[in-house]
Amino acid sequence: MTNPPTSPDPVVTEIVRNGVIAITEEMKSNLMRTAYNMIIYEALDFTVGLFTEKGETISIGLGLPMFIRGMAETIKAKLEHYGSENIHPGDILLTNDAYITGSHLNHLTFSMPIYEDDELIGFACCMAHWPDIGGTLDGITTDIYSEGLQIPIVKYQREGVVNEEIVDIIRANVRLPDRAMGDLRAQLTAIATGERRYLELVKRYGRKQVADAISDIMDQSERAARARTLSIPDGVYEAESYMDDDGVSISNRIPIRVKVIVEGDEMTVDLSDVAEQVRGFYNSGITTGHACSQVAFKCITSPTDYPINDGSFRNLKAIVPPGRVISAVKPAPMRWWMTFPMTIVDTVFKALTPAIPERTIAGHHADLVIGLLNGINPKNNEFYIAFIGPTGGGWGAKHNEDGVSATVCINDGDTHNSPAEQLEAKYPFLIENYALREDSGGAGEYRGGLGCENTVQARADFMLNAQVERMHCKPWGLNGGREAMGNSVVLRAGGNWKEDYPNAKLLTARINAGDAFAFRSGGGGGFGDPKRRPAEIVADDVRQGYVSVGSAKSDYGVVCDVKGNLDKVATKKLRTP
Amino acid sequence: MATNINDVSTIRLAADIGGTFTDVAAFNPKNGELNFGKTLSTPASLIDGIATGVAKAGTSFPEAEIFLHGSTVAINTMLERTGAKTALLITEGFRDIYEIGRVNRPDAYNLFFQKHQPLVERALRFEINERLYAEGEVYKPLDEERVHQICAFIREEGIEAVAILLLHCYANPAHELRVKEIVEEELPSAFVSTSHELSREYREFERCSTVVANAYIGPKVQNYIDGIKTRLQADGFDGSFLVVQSTGGLYDAEQAQRQCVRMLESGPAAGVIGTQALCEAIEIRNAIAFDMGGTTAKAGVIHDGEALTTGSALIGGYERALPVQIAMMDIFEVGTGGGSIARIADEGGLRVGPESAGSEPGPACYGQGGTFPTVTDANVYLGRLSPDRFLGGEMTLDVDAASEAINEKVAMPLNMETADAAQGILSIAVTSMSHAVKAVTTERGLNASDFAMVAYGGAGPLHACSVAREMGIGTVIIPRSPGHFSAFGMLFSDLRYDYVRSRFTRLADADFSDLEDVYIGLEAEGYREIEKASTATERILVSRGADMRYVGQEHSVTVDLPSHLFASEDRAGIKERFDEVHNLRYGTCAPQERSEIVSLRVTVTGMLEKPLLKSIVSGEEKPPKRAHTGTKPVQFGSDMLKTDTWDRTQLLAKNFIIGPALIEEHASTTVLHPGDTLTVDDFGNLNINIGGDAL
Repeated sequence: MTNPPTSPDPVVTEIVRNGVIAITEEMKSNLMRTAYNMIIYEALDFTVGLFTEKGETISIGLGLPMFIRGMAETIKAKLEHYGSENIHPGDILLTNDAYITGSHLNHLTFSMPIYEDDELIGFACCMAHWPDIGGTLDGITTDIYSEGLQIPIVKYQREGVVNEEIVDIIRANVRLPDRAMGDLRAQLTAIATGERRYLELVKRYGRKQVADAISDIMDQSERAARARTLSIPDGVYEAESYMDDDGVSISNRIPIRVKVIVEGDEMTVDLSDVAEQVRGFYNSGITTGHACSQVAFKCITSPTDYPINDGSFRNLKAIVPPGRVISAVKPAPMRWWMTFPMTIVDTVFKALTPAIPERTIAGHHADLVIGLLNGINPKNNEFYIAFIGPTGGGWGAKHNEDGVSATVCINDGDTHNSPAEQLEAKYPFLIENYALREDSGGAGEYRGGLGCENTVQARADFMLNAQVERMHCKPWGLNGGREAMGNSVVLRAGGNWKEDYPNAKLLTARINAGDAFAFRSGGGGGFGDPKRRPAEIVADDVRQGYVSVGSAKSDYGVVCDVKGNLDKVATKKLRTP
Repeated sequence: MATNINDVSTIRLAADIGGTFTDVAAFNPKNGELNFGKTLSTPASLIDGIATGVAKAGTSFPEAEIFLHGSTVAINTMLERTGAKTALLITEGFRDIYEIGRVNRPDAYNLFFQKHQPLVERALRFEINERLYAEGEVYKPLDEERVHQICAFIREEGIEAVAILLLHCYANPAHELRVKEIVEEELPSAFVSTSHELSREYREFERCSTVVANAYIGPKVQNYIDGIKTRLQADGFDGSFLVVQSTGGLYDAEQAQRQCVRMLESGPAAGVIGTQALCEAIEIRNAIAFDMGGTTAKAGVIHDGEALTTGSALIGGYERALPVQIAMMDIFEVGTGGGSIARIADEGGLRVGPESAGSEPGPACYGQGGTFPTVTDANVYLGRLSPDRFLGGEMTLDVDAASEAINEKVAMPLNMETADAAQGILSIAVTSMSHAVKAVTTERGLNASDFAMVAYGGAGPLHACSVAREMGIGTVIIPRSPGHFSAFGMLFSDLRYDYVRSRFTRLADADFSDLEDVYIGLEAEGYREIEKASTATERILVSRGADMRYVGQEHSVTVDLPSHLFASEDRAGIKERFDEVHNLRYGTCAPQERSEIVSLRVTVTGMLEKPLLKSIVSGEEKPPKRAHTGTKPVQFGSDMLKTDTWDRTQLLAKNFIIGPALIEEHASTTVLHPGDTLTVDDFGNLNINIGGDAL
């Protein structure tokens, strides 16, 4: 071999690739471990990242998968707002503008410009969920103004000096100012870590070498994305689904229609026919419309490639006209922004199934199945805000394997539930059960995963607010697989369960001591004809209690007893067409 | 058998069983002599390998007064899923928490993600009617009849082990104890394990996973230890048989047969204990224990003379991990080892690991049919490993095969020179390993450059100087026999019992007499265990700590608390300690915020008599001629440098070597880079000073 080495150096590229992943992981662990609120450290409701001086994504440390675009768009907006010439070393830029982040006001987004020798070379950024940002606690909001404090793009810190007036404004507008300041400090720690480590990398390998390596990483990601898109047959693929309602016009279904166009090595996700923005707080901003496309696209074309960077999306075009439920404009209410986008992502998989059934997945429960609770803790007479969940539900089956049970929805990633022992030690709750729901997974040659039931009894009165979707539009099966059970929320008062609600949305339900509520998360859809599932496996599902004797017979055509003893003759009879 | 010489038995034996090799260290306190025996592990009957190793180390069981043992049997049983048929008895309503877990999905965009697989299938998980409140008071009394019914059922299922997990048992173990009593009475031959005996810390899923793991591996570990005991007795050994725990501390073989899950990581932990002992001998307070083998590199930390431990670990890869909530050495692992494969990824980038060529077929240079280039191949190609002196010449390495693999799989596709490709593979491996070192230092608020690095394992000495340079570490120490270091480390372990008890209380409201009672109770348990142990201790040390957090946080940090802070009810002093630890670890603290105690921790250590390291023969600064085995060309960066090779066994204390140089011994080679200098210390360790910016 006598050819000159290629430029940039592939070894430096790989070292930088490992380096930026390690940096965003360290930012993440610093944030998680210093954060005050459980939503950050248990639910991982945050994202950290490194960006180029133009705001392109170099590496994202998740956090939530759906935050794939929020920070990059926020940095771009900040750059546009100030002009890079008016951003200086020691500045920290802040906003929670929901129409920029695409999400809700709880997402405070801090960005720190990174300078080497007075030249702007990138940004370290951290978006994290604060449990409270003011606004009404009760009821469904119908505009952004009732959702809390809006912070336009501001400089939290100018050339190293904190703007204490902004701190005062925040403290005056949130219910738990000390906690909020704790989270704020954690976010600053995370971005400072990002800045310091990125500078170390630049110092070690040279500014130009690192920049070249990053553009090389993005080019590699682009090549991979193009190759994997090329393997999808050309065509126009469409699918639809719907949301239960917007919480205001009860039972008024909200249509979700997506169109995917594959042409050579390029893909277009057209969301023009998604429903228009709604009155209730289920809207999200245009950034999330783009995030929906990118999440679906990444799952199909580069699911396990890291770092998450903008190169992977150069061959993806998203058509997201303003004013849709995922591209809402001011003053649309945004508080529960995260629910609808998940169903859009699932609907994209459904659309692509005829083209690439071996790479898609049946519908999942597609909701956080989470509840916000507040009340007075009799132990210390203090007001508390707590949350139950994410409950975890079923995921769809695939062409070659069963769906996974009891796992967070696609909005969430490495998100953890809270131990019952932790919740009960902290709050006046008694968790009565946390169990898999028999028969909740869609039947199929490959069975959908199971959802869960989580029953919470009040030891002292509290208020519950649960905004659960997809009770009616149940997780669908693919290629002959059956649909799963949907999500629901039920209440028990005076020993009697009430289950006949029109949707799974409960606004400020009062739960008295001794009463309870239960979350029931849906399962995942099945894949393929259930009659093709081997009878022995169905019988074992019955023995384990994943499938009932009745469902085994009616859905799978398998006759067995509760212990899984198979009646081969009866089964053969049922399974013979 | 020479049982009549038992009264003069003095040898301390340590045996570490790894996947490939069994290492034995034998220390004779009479003359300070330390001998090693390395032999292939004998999976069919591991004790045979130990016996061979003992003979190779020039001694025999009857000559020993103490037998220390670390083994992968526990972890392998768990990872390979070859444990007992186990049932789980659990609080009503919670049968599925073991399967539900924490519902997290780390592999965020992968639609084909997997989650952990329980060790007990759902059909064998049974609910017990009972319930406690978080405070430990009874909400629903235990339905004993139901326990009897379950026992009748599982007896028919042929269950060998039973795990018991009841909610809030950390606050009140009465129900767990009673259930255990009934099960033991009903199923006298089953291995029965309750969660509170292993962990009295909240988090039901993690504790459940811990107790199930213990029950699942229990019968096999019991038999394994019984087998060794029987053989030791038959061979005339009548000393103490102690097992290494994942903390690096020892416990009695009897206890290891009940609390099996405590020995999961005994080998790696012993290496860190060896590092600690070495540091004490040469008066270093802060060191990184760097252990690199064939498939992984591991890093542990000695900080201010103490090995850092953690309260829990995930077993079996993050995505599908089964948690174990017990004290362990805090070790971070990356998938980079000598066998790590270099390849071009789909996206076109160069990757090194985590796929490994393993020992079959092994690196291309082993000549066993491997065609993928590995880190070892890069070392061979660059001249860092001598093909004819590998494993003391027991194996000849095929340089051409290494060259061809690197050229074909990496250099040509990337349009690079073979040498640059080989160099690149090492650079990438070194930076990944430096991330492991960062994970245990900088992410804990420690500055890596304040640490020395002690490198061992077959591949550790090959890469230590590069990793140290990458991290800004100035001193590297290669101990004697780096390939036997875990066995060596065991000789320095002490009896150790770790206790934890969840106790939620705000510091401001804490009832100190209650906390004191808990501490004293835990300490008394430790004293009892040490008294019961079969070996005599020199003295007993007790240390107290508490897991603390700010009110509102979930993650807590463990704060070591001197007893006097409790005696004087010094809330401000405790708070100050907590703020300090929080600041050290996370770079922030909030002195004005309220804090709370989550769990109390006690470690009771029974100090054993330690070997005194013996000095080796001293020489001049210039090494003796017979140690110099030749010169060979070795590539460093873009330069091919004429490099001296030395036989380590011939080096004397005070010998001084300037890099570049290779120091070769039976199972490993130390690479000294240009700019580095090496001094052999009095104990025979290679003490390396990392020079400037050499490559």
